[in-house]
Amino acid sequence: MSVLRTESLYCAFGSLVVTKDVTLTVIKGERHVIIGPNGAGKTSLLNQIGGQLHAGRGRILLGGTDITQWPPNRIAQSGIARTFQRNNLFPNLTVLENLCLAVEARRGRPWDFFSLADHRHAVIRRAEALLAQVHIAGDASRPVHNLSYGEQRQLEIGLALAGEPTLLLLDEPTSGMSPAETKSMIALIASLPRTLSILMIEHDMNVVFTVADRITVFYYGEVLASGPPAEIRNDRRVREIYLGMED
Amino acid sequence: MEFFLEQILNGLVYGVLLFLTAAGLSLIFGLMNVVSLAHGSFFMMGGYVAYSLYRLTGSFWAALLLAPVPIVAAGVAMEVIFLRPLYRRGHLDQVLLTFGFTFIFLDAVQTIWGRDVLALPPPAVFDGVVALGTGVFSSYRLFLIGFGLAIALLLWLFLDRSQLGARVRAGVDDAAMAGGLGCNISALFTAIFGAGVALAALGGVAAGPIFGIYPGEDAEILIPAFIVIVVGGMGSLRGAFVGSLLIGEADTFGNAYMPQLALFLIYLVMAIVLLVRPQGLFGIKHGLAASPSGSTPAAPLPSRRALAIGLIGVAALVIYPLLVADYQRSLVTELLIFAIVAMSLDLLLGFTGLMSLGHAAFFGLGAYVVIVLGTFFDFNAWFGVALGIGAAALAALVIGYFCVRASGIPFLMLTLAFSQLVYSVALKWRDVTGGSDGIGLAVKPSLFGFTLSNSLTMYFVALFFFVLCFLGLRRLVSSPLGRVFIGIRENEARMLAIGYATRRYKLASFTIGGAVAGLAGGLYAVFNGFISPDAVYWSASGDILIMVMLGGAGTLLGPVFGAAAFLLMKNLVSTYSEHWLAIIGVVFVACVLFFPGGFWGTLRQVRIMTREKVPA
Amino acid sequence: MAGARAGPKLPGRLRMLELDGIHTYYGDSHVLRGVSLSVGAGEVVCLLGRNGAGKTTTILTAMGYVKPRTGRIAYRARNITALRPFEIARLGVGYVPQERGIFPSLTVVENLTVFARGTRRGRWTLPRIFALFPVLEARVGHLGFQLSGGEQQMLSIARALMLNPTLLLLDEPSEGLAPMILQQIVTAIKSLRNEGLAILLVEQNLRTALALGDRHHVLNKGEICYTGSSAELGGNDTVLRDYLSV
Repeated sequence: MSVLRTESLYCAFGSLVVTKDVTLTVIKGERHVIIGPNGAGKTSLLNQIGGQLHAGRGRILLGGTDITQWPPNRIAQSGIARTFQRNNLFPNLTVLENLCLAVEARRGRPWDFFSLADHRHAVIRRAEALLAQVHIAGDASRPVHNLSYGEQRQLEIGLALAGEPTLLLLDEPTSGMSPAETKSMIALIASLPRTLSILMIEHDMNVVFTVADRITVFYYGEVLASGPPAEIRNDRRVREIYLGMED
Repeated sequence: MEFFLEQILNGLVYGVLLFLTAAGLSLIFGLMNVVSLAHGSFFMMGGYVAYSLYRLTGSFWAALLLAPVPIVAAGVAMEVIFLRPLYRRGHLDQVLLTFGFTFIFLDAVQTIWGRDVLALPPPAVFDGVVALGTGVFSSYRLFLIGFGLAIALLLWLFLDRSQLGARVRAGVDDAAMAGGLGCNISALFTAIFGAGVALAALGGVAAGPIFGIYPGEDAEILIPAFIVIVVGGMGSLRGAFVGSLLIGEADTFGNAYMPQLALFLIYLVMAIVLLVRPQGLFGIKHGLAASPSGSTPAAPLPSRRALAIGLIGVAALVIYPLLVADYQRSLVTELLIFAIVAMSLDLLLGFTGLMSLGHAAFFGLGAYVVIVLGTFFDFNAWFGVALGIGAAALAALVIGYFCVRASGIPFLMLTLAFSQLVYSVALKWRDVTGGSDGIGLAVKPSLFGFTLSNSLTMYFVALFFFVLCFLGLRRLVSSPLGRVFIGIRENEARMLAIGYATRRYKLASFTIGGAVAGLAGGLYAVFNGFISPDAVYWSASGDILIMVMLGGAGTLLGPVFGAAAFLLMKNLVSTYSEHWLAIIGVVFVACVLFFPGGFWGTLRQVRIMTREKVPA
Repeated sequence: MAGARAGPKLPGRLRMLELDGIHTYYGDSHVLRGVSLSVGAGEVVCLLGRNGAGKTTTILTAMGYVKPRTGRIAYRARNITALRPFEIARLGVGYVPQERGIFPSLTVVENLTVFARGTRRGRWTLPRIFALFPVLEARVGHLGFQLSGGEQQMLSIARALMLNPTLLLLDEPSEGLAPMILQQIVTAIKSLRNEGLAILLVEQNLRTALALGDRHHVLNKGEICYTGSSAELGGNDTVLRDYLSV
């Protein structure tokens, strides 16, 4: 049962083609990992799905609905949440305020102009639960710019989860993390319920092979190969052009 | 047919004048992301200097050639000494700094040349007319069209063909990279800034024989030039050219064929372009701009101590009027009213990150509604205030609908342009608004039997609404909706990604801010009993912006003190010196340079720093 | 060890670049923690490490874009710590940033010539550039934004060469390139090295780094945690696993 399907997605900036005829399916509950060299068009694909980028041709279907031209907010409201490659948070707000904004967007009453945000106990409880879920310990009233880099990466995921998505898009969740932080990120991803489908970009092969049910290899905006990890590991072309280069 | 042709030519005349101003603005913005409000002043000063040079030499050509020299010197000095230290700060500081300079330049012009319209005769060669079919057309105007087109051509050749031009384009593309390849970007920018000033000054000289030379010319050319840039696309010379001709023709044809609607026509053109192509005709589509004001932390919730201080403050405000004379009472009444406006702008600027330079429009609208309805229909003033709030909110909703499609500097330009539209209506709809003379309320209204011509009653009414607005706005910024506003200020792209339709929320903030400003305007009408277009002029919007920045954006209480400091200073200075414009300009410049976070912001910063020094 | 870390002692004019005890901050975050390294004439020195280790910051600091809080930077024994990027470029440092920094609205030729320096006496001219990267010649009239990633990379290197530099700072030239294109670029960099150009190369692709580098510094959390030759680094599984491998 496919949650998300892209059909012949094509996107170019000038003559620089970033995605070329990308057809890809995410099945319900699947952990689908996209790998490929830098600049292969992976983030552009996520931007197209998330509505940050509207360019080119092709269709994006969520369930059976065509969401190709939707703005990001509508896509978020319909159950696709995403994280960003570079931390994209509200740096001057506290950890809790960051999460409350995301919770309020999906389930709360963001147009409420009279009650005090700090007294919205249901929202705050949900935010605190998310905080525990993404393993951020300590004072939730710290401003986000005081968090460590790794904690900010975790909060990225917390903000996405607050949208109660059916599909989670993760853009290099472990980039720039230390081995210890990477380990706890793997644990965090593993702990997510299987009702949630995940499409993620990742460079760290440890993470890729620990997490993935299916791997799609991107190369110059095209899908070079797609299949279960064992198959990809043994794919000669993939080894040659991608894995071979790395080790 | 002749009439039609004549209109086309007149449109071209206006178009090339706009181009001379907009080209420099656009290049300066493209290269350094700086918007200079003083650009109109350079245009104006070009005309004045040319006038003096003409009186001195008797030659128009000498005036045309030499007038830009001192203007460029002034412009370059402003850039090197004052603007350059600000490049690391946000747009708003640059805007305010150049805004301060418009005061200084205006005062200088009025001091040296007086306030009358001066005439610069066209050169003798072009002092005739040319036959066009059965009609005639001024040969100077034809010359001006040729002159403007020639300059546009030269500019294009320079940018497209010369080595230096390629460096400018490289700098517009990526200034940091150009630096890494050995390009002295600050020198290049100074050169371009100087060239832009020279073009504006040339435009000012060339406009002299047609429109005359007068104070106020600066804003009259600056605002349509902004519209040109919004229409043509930021940082694009081609956009500036096409936009100038388009706006020039639209305005001219509007005046010729539909004088009633002429005022709105260029705004209509702008609105259509914005709806169809938000980045402008030739603009490159940019991602969401970085949040402009940014780093002020969310307002802390009131502690018990803050509550106590607040109560003492209110108590002082209650006792104060009982101890002083009428004049001091009225002064503080005015302060309270303007504190409301400043807070309402702070909701946009400090809490939602919307840089509005047109806020006086809503204030003025509220005031005009009260007085116009009171004068013509004998409306009760309080009913008028309510309607004024509604009118301001409605206007903010409509204007905001277009403005929130842009952000950053284009947003600022749009709000400025729309507020000038309100100003033009106030100025030209004489039958209703009294035109430049303004309009007064015949009878002061009363409230529950207390007449408001009594300064004490008026004082308490203003105090009541001030406290109400303060508490209401503070509640708002602490509410979920307020948090959404702050989220947009911090990171609009992420707000979109977590599911907020940010445009709608920005529009909500803009509308609420407009409504509160409308309330303040209504109160002001009741208090002052008189309103004139000056109150909605762009400099009035600038005043409000200064109040907010002076006190510290994003703090709510800061703008209150900012409003007080600003008005007290203005009162004091204008009592003692006729050069109050220049003095206020200097104070702005000094404040921008030395108190980047405003009084309140600086105070808070100091408190945070001293607290951090104490070991926990 | 200390000798290896600082590089061989050379006469001043042959010490093309020296970083000495560099501490760089972004706001409060301490990005470089005492980085010292040197690049001698005709030498290729590689900086390796994970994302966020401080490689690019080291290049930006050397180029004057980011000012170190403490430490000293010298070019040919001249202190350049306080100089601005354009002054450093004019001394003879060619900079090729990670994002390539092609001017999108300039043509290929304009990109090459707009800031070219010393072309009369210098070694690099358009014909030589086109001999090194023939692809660019076929693209001369194209605008920067119309180039593919590989072409942009070549143009960026070529543009830096047009300044006739004696030192090149290359930030991840291999990023996102197809193997064939990468091979062309590696070959080009090798020929530059053979001409005696000193190069500081940031690289994530170990194979490229080993093929090009004379010495390698591995950065981790803003500190140099390993220094060695290609043979030493290639054989050191611990370092490869802990700091580099995926």
